[in-house]
Order: sequence, then C-alpha cells, then structure tokens
Amino acid sequence: MIEITDLTVRFGGVTPLDGMTVTFDSGTCGLIGPNGAGKTTFFNVLSGFVRPAHGSVYAFGDDLLAMPHYKRARWGLRRTFQTEQAIEELSVADNVALAHEHSRRGSRVSRRADVLGALELVGLGVAPDVKVEALGTRDRRLVEIARAVVGRPRVVLLDEPAAGLPDEETEHLGRVIRGIPEYTGALAVLVDHDMSLVSACCEKTVVLDFGKLIAAGPTATVLRDENVVRAYLGTEPVRVER
Amino acid sequence: MPSWQDFQPFIVAGLALGGVYALSGVGMVVLYRTTGVLNLAFGAVGAMGALIAWTLINTYGWPEGLAYLVCIAFGAAISLGYGLLAGPPLAGRDPLVKAAATLGLALILLGTMSWIWSDKARSMVLPTTTWRHEVGEVLINWTQILALALGVLITLTTAVFLRRTGLGTAMRALANDREITASLGVPVRRVEATTWVVSGALSGVAGLLLSNLVGLDAATLTFLVISSLAAALIARLRSLVVTLAAGIVIGLVNAVVTPIFSISPYRDMTPFVLAAVALLFLARHQQISFARRIT
Amino acid sequence: MRRPTASQARAPATVLALLLIVVLVLPPLLSAYWIDVLTAVAIYSVVALGLNLLMGRVGLVSLGQIAVLALGGWVAAKLAFATSIPFPLVLLIAGLITLVLGTLVGLPALRLSGLYLALITLMLAGAITVVLSTTNFPNGGPGFLGHTESSFGNPSVRRPDIAGSDPGYFRFTVIVAAAMFALALWHVRSRPGRAWAAIRQSEPAALAAGVNITLYKLWAWALASFMTGVAGGLLAGSVGKLYTYQFPTRDSIILLAVVLMGGIYSLWGAVVAGGLMKLLPALLDDWGLPADLLTILFGVGVLQVLLTAPGGLAAQVPKDLARLGGALSAVVRREAARAERAPTGPAPREPAQ
Repeated sequence: MIEITDLTVRFGGVTPLDGMTVTFDSGTCGLIGPNGAGKTTFFNVLSGFVRPAHGSVYAFGDDLLAMPHYKRARWGLRRTFQTEQAIEELSVADNVALAHEHSRRGSRVSRRADVLGALELVGLGVAPDVKVEALGTRDRRLVEIARAVVGRPRVVLLDEPAAGLPDEETEHLGRVIRGIPEYTGALAVLVDHDMSLVSACCEKTVVLDFGKLIAAGPTATVLRDENVVRAYLGTEPVRVER
Repeated sequence: MPSWQDFQPFIVAGLALGGVYALSGVGMVVLYRTTGVLNLAFGAVGAMGALIAWTLINTYGWPEGLAYLVCIAFGAAISLGYGLLAGPPLAGRDPLVKAAATLGLALILLGTMSWIWSDKARSMVLPTTTWRHEVGEVLINWTQILALALGVLITLTTAVFLRRTGLGTAMRALANDREITASLGVPVRRVEATTWVVSGALSGVAGLLLSNLVGLDAATLTFLVISSLAAALIARLRSLVVTLAAGIVIGLVNAVVTPIFSISPYRDMTPFVLAAVALLFLARHQQISFARRIT
Repeated sequence: MRRPTASQARAPATVLALLLIVVLVLPPLLSAYWIDVLTAVAIYSVVALGLNLLMGRVGLVSLGQIAVLALGGWVAAKLAFATSIPFPLVLLIAGLITLVLGTLVGLPALRLSGLYLALITLMLAGAITVVLSTTNFPNGGPGFLGHTESSFGNPSVRRPDIAGSDPGYFRFTVIVAAAMFALALWHVRSRPGRAWAAIRQSEPAALAAGVNITLYKLWAWALASFMTGVAGGLLAGSVGKLYTYQFPTRDSIILLAVVLMGGIYSLWGAVVAGGLMKLLPALLDDWGLPADLLTILFGVGVLQVLLTAPGGLAAQVPKDLARLGGALSAVVRREAARAERAPTGPAPREPAQ
C-alpha cells in the first residue's frame, strides 16, 4: 500500500502536482490523465529525481521521501521510463542483473535463476547474452520491464510502457503486467494513455488533471466519470454541425 | 615584508595583466553563452597572431600598425574558420565535447608555432610601451594603461551592447535557447559567426598586449588563457562585470605576491586556486549531473 | 555471469602469447634506445588506461592526469630514497597514496558536471605543477621534501634487484603494465563495469536500478588515480631522475588527444595511445622529421574523433577486420551449403546472375 498525503511540487511558476492525496492498494493500479497532468512528475517524486515542496509518501509503512534516491531501488522501488532506458552496451541478462545486484533483496546465489525467471515472465524470446543495442523498441521495453520485476521488488512503476507499440504487443504487455503482482508480490502502478490496457490490467484507477486528483476508484467507473471525460476532451460541449 | 614602494611597480603590472585577463575572459564568456563553446584555444590564437605580426615587422619590414592589424584579423579569421568548420557538427553536443574540440585546435596551433617559429626568444615592442610616465615613484608605460583601459572598456561596451542592440539581444537569445531563437527567425548562423569573429579579434588584441606585458613565447601565451579562464569561471561563465573584477583580482594578486619572498614561488598558483575554489563553491548544491556520452 | 563464447575463450590465449613475445623475444632484438622507448610506451599506456576508463566507461574527462603521474613519481621517489622497501611494494604504496589523494579531490569535484569537472582538473593540475616546480622531486636529500640542489649529479631512483638492467626493467614494466590492464579488465567485466555502463548511458536509469552513482564514479576515479600513481613509480625507476619539465601541462592535453584517437571504448585503445604518445615521436625523430608535426597530427586527431568517428582507431580497425572476416565466412558458408545440396556429382550450374 502506498499512502500519498498532500503531495505538491513546484518549479518555476508551474505547479505540476497540487495537493495530491490518495492511497494505492495492492495489485495493479492505473494512473491516468491528459498530457501534462503530472503523472511523470509523480513518478519522478517517487524515484527521487524531484523534491516535493511538501507532502509525504509512505510505502508499506516506510517513509519513501526520507531515503536517498539510489537507496529506494534497494528498498524495492523499480520503474520504467517513457523513453525506454535499457543499457545498450550491456547484454539482456546484464541489464536485468544490474537491478538485482544493487538491490539488497536479491542474493548472489539465486541471481542467474532470478534473471532468467524475470526474462521468462516478460516473454522475451531473445537469448540472454544478446547486447541490447541490437534489439528493437519492443524488446528493449521488455528488458526494462524485466529489470523492474527481477528479485523481489515492492513497488513497480510503469511509465507508458505501451507507447508506440502495435495492438498485438499491447495485448502481450497486458498479460505481463497483470502477472506482476502475482509473480513478485509487488504493487504496480501503470501510467498509460491506452485505456484498453488500463482497463485490462488495473482494478482501480486514479486520475490526475493539472496536478490535481479528479477521480479515484474502480477503473470502469472512473473511465465513465464525467469529470474524467471532460478533462480529456476539453470543457466545451462537442457540437455536431448539421 | 617589502615596503609600499616595492609593491607599486607590481601593482601596476598586475592591473595591466588583469585588464588583459578581463578582456580575454569577456571574449570567452560571450562566445560561450552564444555558441556553447568554451574556446580553450583562445590564447593559442592570440599567440600565433602576435608571432605573425612579429615576422611581418622583423622579417618583411612591414609597418607596425599594419602588422598589428593583421594579427587581429588573423585572430578573427582563424576563429571564424574554426567556428564554421567545427560548429555545425558539434552543435547539439555537450559543452564538454565542444571545449575538448577546441583543444584540438590548440594543439594544431601549438605544433604549427613550434615548427615555424621554434622556441627562440623574441620580443615585440608596441609603440605604447615606449611611451613612459612617472607617476609617484613608479614608471608606467602606456601599454599597461592601454591594457587596463581596454579591459574595462570592452567589458562595459559589451555589456551595454548585449542589452541595447539588436545583435546583442540576438546573442542573449541564442545563449538562452538556440532552437527557439532559430524558430523566431533570428539568423542564428550569422549571429554565431559574428560572435566568433569578435571573440577572435579580442584574442588577437590580447596576444599583442600580452606579448609586451609578459613576452613573446608561444607556450607561455597559450597557457595564459588559463588565467582568463579562471576569471570567466569565477563569473560562472555569466556575468561580464564579475569577469572584469575577477580578472583584475587575479592579475593583482599574482603580481603583488612577487616581492613577498616567502610565498613568491607559489604566486603562479593564484589563478588555479581561485578558479578551483570558485568551481567547488558552484558545486555545493549540485545533485545529479545528467552526464551524456563523450562521443 | 555470462558464459564465455568460443571466441572470447580464445582471446586470453592470444593476449598471453603476445605478452610472452614482448617480454621474452623482443628485448635482445632491440638497441638500448628502443628499449627505453618501449618502456616509456608501456608506462604511458597505463596512464592512458586510467583516462581511457574514465572517459570510455564513466564519461568523465580529466585534464590533469600528467600531474597525477608526477605525484605518483614523487611519492615513489621519496619512498625509494627514504626507505629500503622493495621496489614492487614501493609501486603499490605509491599507487595507494595517489589513490587516496585522488579520492580526496574526487569527493567534492565529482559533483560537478562534465565540463566543469574537466576544468577543475586542469586548474588543480596547474597548481600541482607550480608547487612541484618549487619543491622539485626527492633525490635523496634531507627532510620531507627530500631534495637537495647538487652540482655533483643526483643519484637515480633505485630499481628492483632482479630488474636493474634496462632490458630487465623493461620486462618488469611490461609485467606490471599487464597487471594493470588485467585489473581494468576485471573491473569492466564485473559489477563496477555494469554500473559504469548504466551511468554512462543514463544516470536516471542507473539510479532507478539502485546504482549509487557517486560511489561508482569515485571508484573509477580512484582506480584511475591508482594506476597513474603506479605508472609514476615505474617512470621514476625508468628515468631515475625526475624533473618538472618532464610533466608539462601540454602533455595532459596530448594525453587526451591520443586516448581519444586510440579509442575509448576498448582497453586496447590505451595501448595504441601509449604508442602514439611515445613511440611515434621516437620514430619521427629517427626519420629526421620534426616532432611538432605530431602535435599538429594529434590536434587533427582530436577534431576527427570528436566530429566523426567516436570509437577511435581501436574500434575502427576491428570493425573493418570483422567486416572482412564476415564476408569471408559468408563465402565459405555459401560454398559449404552448395556442396551439401549436391553430395554426388558436380554442383549444378548456377543460373546467370
């Protein structure tokens, strides 16, 4: 469970996050909102790249904001990035091992097995010794996700993993993401614009707009919520010309 | 401890050198803010220009004024040439890569100077050096006055220019964001080229002045750029007035320490130590520096 | 972590063979002059290796490695004259002390971004050079600085007992240099190497994976300092007498140039760099050409690498060879496939292309 209380981020004259208060329960939770709503900023606060003006984040009872950024990964926080960041000059296995060996929750003895297990979970059909620079976007995304689920993570943040992927890949991605809480015991938060993916993976969804929380609850209900629809389509009623 | 009288000639020498550090520093700062290139070959360019002037005067009997103009023109031309050649391919790269590339230019110039002129001792005497004054108990020559005056003048003129003229505004816009400036219709390449020319001309001027204040030696003149660089760094590669003040302080401290025998051997550390301290002070709040690949 | 492929298993054997040739076969074939030159090549390869690791693995630039070399030489000379510690131990201690000094500098300095870090190394190197030109190098004299002005000629730094002669010291140097390369290779292939790869590509991704960036940057910095310190000790034993003019600021820039030209993405690039820096000048001298041409060449080299070929020579040549090898093996495979398709009788005629 992640408890966020009054989280606010300010820089320049902008307030990307404004008094966000919400609780993410177990399983997979969706986080949606139009562009610029503050979703990536939220992830960046959790990762430690951005310091909030005020507010608190408690994950499984631990004060996340009190930890230095690299220690959060050790604690069990993992994430993927909007533009995938698989390390090109390393092999697939080494990329995944990177997260494992810097996490206190993984032991050296089980490393190889854990890495291969993570690769199997994401369904990457590439030999583990292949260098990532030889792979295409879809495979690199899967490597990144494998890196996020290896070992025993506690929180997995997925930032638009389906961006730019064709529908069949998105389906595969959906199956992988649905399996994360079961395989790792972690809480997953999925940010994406693909509503079918979000519906398929997340029981609950939270919606941000201009840094403020405008809806939270069961995914199907949230997606039908008037405020949410208005946030995505604009406030002007749609007029049909005759 | 030496007396006030003993210090005076050093104060004068220090102020003069400081003036040159300041005008060089200003040249480097404006170029850096406009193009993102910290030109570490600034000193080498001026050195070669000065050597060319020397050859024109002493080997070919050219009139001095013309030779000095050639020196300044050479500085402008080489800098422009480099900017046109190396600018576009490196345009989007990290400032570190751009600065490292100027080291390539510095090596080319150093090698050329060493080859053509070797390390013979030379001297070039500007007419202003022969005009001397006695002020109190110190002998001041006009080159020293010129150096300090130019340092101050160029700093102030550039500061005003950047704020008041169209070209200056364009330069400041470029310093802020190249992409947006280009999309506003500003002739980015032309502005950059102009900046290279002016910066290059300044290096020629600095070369001439330093050849009189310090000596006409390729290596010395090339590495004096470090003192100007130190001044620019203390100004965080931003404020021209701070560059002026820092340049003068560096020149002064370096020179004034000379008659104090106990620390005199270490006086050349002045620019290095001051710059290092300034840089570390800059770093005190840093968190992550998002490094990019070298090549 | 990885199981080595067949070609990777062959590589150490080739390297070992090369090493044996250099150590056993070369020395008797060369004159004293060339032994000196090759000793310098080995020493400066190690210096280049330090910078190669910093630039190629972590993306950090230091413009002060020659000053670090001088520091290492100073410490080694001091230990050699003031104590009777065996020379290999002198090298180790010199390396360790240089490591400590380097780390002390790195702790505040590494918070700076690329350009400013390079500049601060330039500044600190300048400061060190000024101090050294005043304190000079230990030569058996009294006190902490251990230097006396003597008109009778200074004693030389002592060498290891078994490697007192020039050819002997050459072998010793090559072995120590090989050990340094092995140390570097071990780092690159294991956990620090992976962390460095992540840091170089994307610091956010590295952080998200739990890499303590400051620690690993410091580690690379410390490793480079250690190696350069050891190289300084080797240099002290090689030339015997150290003077400030042997460590000019210009050499730090030339070092940058040759490391870039040799190639920063492969450890072999450091060997190429050492050769460029110390072998080429000797060759040019032998052929009666001015050394200044090299300075110009290095300047052009820097521009060429930064503007066009990021991998340098060490990446380009293997790539070309690999392409050639690939073409050859493709031809071989095609012929084998053709022979398989027609096991009896001659191969069918190919239709006209």
